[in-house]
Amino acid sequence: MITKKQYSLSCVFLIILAVSAGTFAQDRSADPKEQDLIAVLKSDAPKGEKAITCKKLAIYGTRESIPSLALLLADKELASWARIAIEAIPGPASDIALRNALGKVEGRLLVGVINSIAVRRDVQAVDTLVQKLDDSNASVASAAAVALGHVSGEKAAKALTKSLANAPAGVRSAVAEGCILCAERFLADDRTAEAVKLYDTVRKADVPDQRHLEAIRGAILARQSAGLPLLIEQLRSEDKKRLGIGLRTARELPGRDVTEALAVELNRLNPDRRPLLLLALADRSDSAVLPTVHKAAQSGPEDLRITAINILIRLGDVSCVPILLEAVTEADAKLEQAATETLIRLPGKDVDADLLARLPQARGKLKQVLIELAGQRQISKALPAVVSSLRDTDVGIRGAAVRTISIIGQDQQAADLVKLLQKTKNSGERAGIRKALLAISGRCGAKCIPHLKPLTESRDSELHIIGLRALAIVGGSDALAAVKSAIESAESPAQDEAVRILSNWPSNWPEDSKAGQALLMLATSAKKMPHQVLGLRGYLQYIRGNKKLSNEQKVAKVKDLLAHIKRPEEKRQAIAVLAEAPSASALELLTTLAEEPAVVEEAYSGMVRIAGQDIRGVSKDQRRKVLQTVADKSKNDRTRQRARKTLSGIR
Amino acid sequence: MRKERVSQNRRRFLKTAVQAGVCLAVPEFIPGTALGKSGSVAPSERIILGAIGIGNRGRYVLGCFLREPDLRCIAVCDVRGDNRKRAKDQVDAVNGDKQCATYIDMRELLARDDIDAVLIATGPNWHATAATMAAKAGKDVYCEKPCTKNIAQSLQLANVFHRTARVFQAGTQRRSLPNFAYAIELARTGKLGKLQTLHAHPGGLGTKMSGWLPAEPERPRDQVDWDMYLGPAAWRPYTSKLMNAFHFEKGGGLVGGGCLEWGSHCVDLCQLANDADDTAPVEYEPVNGQLHARYANGVKLVMRNDGWLPLGSCPVRFEGETGWVETGDDAEFAASSQSLLLRRGTKIPGYPADFHVRDFLDCVKTRALTRANADAACWAHIACHAANIALFLDRKVKYDPKKNEFIGDEQANRLRSEALREPWRI
Repeated sequence: MITKKQYSLSCVFLIILAVSAGTFAQDRSADPKEQDLIAVLKSDAPKGEKAITCKKLAIYGTRESIPSLALLLADKELASWARIAIEAIPGPASDIALRNALGKVEGRLLVGVINSIAVRRDVQAVDTLVQKLDDSNASVASAAAVALGHVSGEKAAKALTKSLANAPAGVRSAVAEGCILCAERFLADDRTAEAVKLYDTVRKADVPDQRHLEAIRGAILARQSAGLPLLIEQLRSEDKKRLGIGLRTARELPGRDVTEALAVELNRLNPDRRPLLLLALADRSDSAVLPTVHKAAQSGPEDLRITAINILIRLGDVSCVPILLEAVTEADAKLEQAATETLIRLPGKDVDADLLARLPQARGKLKQVLIELAGQRQISKALPAVVSSLRDTDVGIRGAAVRTISIIGQDQQAADLVKLLQKTKNSGERAGIRKALLAISGRCGAKCIPHLKPLTESRDSELHIIGLRALAIVGGSDALAAVKSAIESAESPAQDEAVRILSNWPSNWPEDSKAGQALLMLATSAKKMPHQVLGLRGYLQYIRGNKKLSNEQKVAKVKDLLAHIKRPEEKRQAIAVLAEAPSASALELLTTLAEEPAVVEEAYSGMVRIAGQDIRGVSKDQRRKVLQTVADKSKNDRTRQRARKTLSGIR
Repeated sequence: MRKERVSQNRRRFLKTAVQAGVCLAVPEFIPGTALGKSGSVAPSERIILGAIGIGNRGRYVLGCFLREPDLRCIAVCDVRGDNRKRAKDQVDAVNGDKQCATYIDMRELLARDDIDAVLIATGPNWHATAATMAAKAGKDVYCEKPCTKNIAQSLQLANVFHRTARVFQAGTQRRSLPNFAYAIELARTGKLGKLQTLHAHPGGLGTKMSGWLPAEPERPRDQVDWDMYLGPAAWRPYTSKLMNAFHFEKGGGLVGGGCLEWGSHCVDLCQLANDADDTAPVEYEPVNGQLHARYANGVKLVMRNDGWLPLGSCPVRFEGETGWVETGDDAEFAASSQSLLLRRGTKIPGYPADFHVRDFLDCVKTRALTRANADAACWAHIACHAANIALFLDRKVKYDPKKNEFIGDEQANRLRSEALREPWRI
């Protein structure tokens, strides 16, 4: 993981590097001429230049380039570059060059040539490759074995099969790989019997276990349904790796009969393995597996049931609903959680309809679950039944109804919630209703205001505060009027809350322009000191965020306000507003504020910020003077550094 | 600090899911009780890990592995001595001993029978080659991205993991994060209407790091094994300037690597949103610094070269006929309608890999396909490589995902693969 900054630096580094390295992509202004490229290879050019030339020939070269490229196959430093081109250039000339090189190079270079022959699948190289199977260098023999696998064909398969029996241990794994590659090719060409024979040969050979596993997989899949016994043998194996290959092939082997056989096997397996096979069955994308999953979800060991329930998220349909509801209402927290999640995610409108139809008759825990699901699945048609549940005697059901209404309720439901809120004294229930009211207010906006009136007029301060908070979310002039009214007429703590709400008036900011006047009023003439402070902060925030005000207007408003600001905390906030309003007047005001010891450093910081910008009415000399003053006088290292750096940047 | 934050995120994520029973967008978790995760884990049930190529990114992902109770790391491998030491110290500190083995040559680590799985974070030059070597050695593989250097390697990777039946997880961990999974679920379940356009923001479409630079004195093998560092990349003399394995040969070292760096994430997410884990776009065209691609089902994919949207790095945007949604690494959303976001679940910013690692370990036990399995990785990478090729050729190219070739375009077809340096092969 890299950060954005690191990423940007990396990009810069790479661009610099690309320029200095003379990479291929950089100088691709026009397609190069092949003859020019060949001339580079024939010249005394540095090896680096020849290397990049090879890359170009990979795209633009033809058989004309091959002789020059072939000469490089014996060069330890350039052979890999040459093969990039030779491998890519179509036509027999490349194959011939590689074949010729088989007798000329050795060791790693020979391995490279063989690998390129494998990529090009050169059938005419088979005889030579077969000879190389007996090479004393295990790397060469191994490369030849794998290459034969890629080329494939009867002759290759025969040689590999023979070699499998007597190859040195260090080569046998590659020979087995070659056999498997051949088998794959046979299978693709509908030569199933030959593929099966090869897979079975490898299965029985003395080769590394991973090759056995690959052969087992191939043998099962090549046999198709007839591979089932071998598959089941793996599922029952004591060996974990064989179990693993069984689980994988259980997912891959197609056919309804396979699904049914594996479903039968599910009940025979060791219980520890059943969830694993059930998961594999689920991955078969075969609807025939659904009854098995249903059954597993209904009864049996908890881990198998949970696995089955989880699977139903992607395989289930409306037929699963009764099973899942049964699981939800059982006294088992893990089952309940799994079934609830599945019921929430189960796709389909018919599922919604089924759940809805069950709601009127439901009682107790089931009713609570259905109400919760109506919310989570956003079944709006359930709203009437959910609203009526607000009157249920069961507190759990009422709570579920409130939560669901918070998700799908509309402005009319705000009225229902307000009525319920007025009735209950339970703090938990009130908290739930408050949350729902705020959610609906945010969603439905001004339409909620009439419904909230009983709260804002309530003598119960808690209800009054809930009403005010809901209004703050709604925003707009009516809501603002209600909050102002509460400030003027309510008693503590509702009045305090109204002031807090006003000072953070965020709803439709800054469109609620009247909030500015109210805040200024509060800042300049509130009776309580905390209210004044909140008013000042809110007003400064209003100025800062108001896009309709010019920088000069903002500075003027701050200047007017400064007479009412006594504390350094609010002065700092005022300075922050000035620093974001670059102008001559802001710079002047900040210079004045810098004379106050309590805020001098904040003022300096703001001055640096403004003086760093080209501002109308402020000359470069004035900017330099300001920055020099800060650089000389500031006691903050960072501010001084910023001042000096900014100063040096003014030219 | 980082470790704690991610752990807390993960705990919060799971805890919230349990308490609220809310619908999480992340694909379902396998129940722990079915996989031996409840309570303590018997040593015999632990997955034994080896870690290969453990630089900065590798150590971060290794840390995610080491937090899992059913995992024990016993060996680390890196061509750089400083990386080996740091990784060993990291593992030993968790294991409470000094037993973590160190290797320069990954073949020695892969030869150990007691290792079940490997984390590969070598850098893109080695990823595909090392991953297929590990699979052939019988190891399950968690491989950082970009996983491949070209189209041919992408296909070979998928083939080898089919053949060997080993578990593969590409390090595209955003597939396992709730915000991305939720946005994808909206796209795949029709909540946005018929999909029209997908936006990926790979950034840096033109970056690259390769070439042949002037030689510097080679360092002792225990500090840097240059031959192993080069691995499958064509030979060139030692230079410290190419020692950033995170970028070396990214995108094949021939054409733009930036597309692979971030595209392997954001293009991959678009692939999933379009239910295209088994295919890739059929047309790619550079347009004003962007890359416009089109799937056979008509959906358009826009890869942008410019800056991030305000939702954090690696943002994606899915547009349908009736709505759109956008999210990024801040785990915030923007959408055409707030009603689309009602079930968005827990916010997990900072793209941690913990969930993705857990998915891998679960699949090691169940043998199921991971979220970023070899097929999915193959096609997402093909999309990025094909885009790179179009950018390199600076013209429109058409790709046939069934034949895996560019249509009537020999130059583009030649860029599909590149010879590996001897003795390496896939």
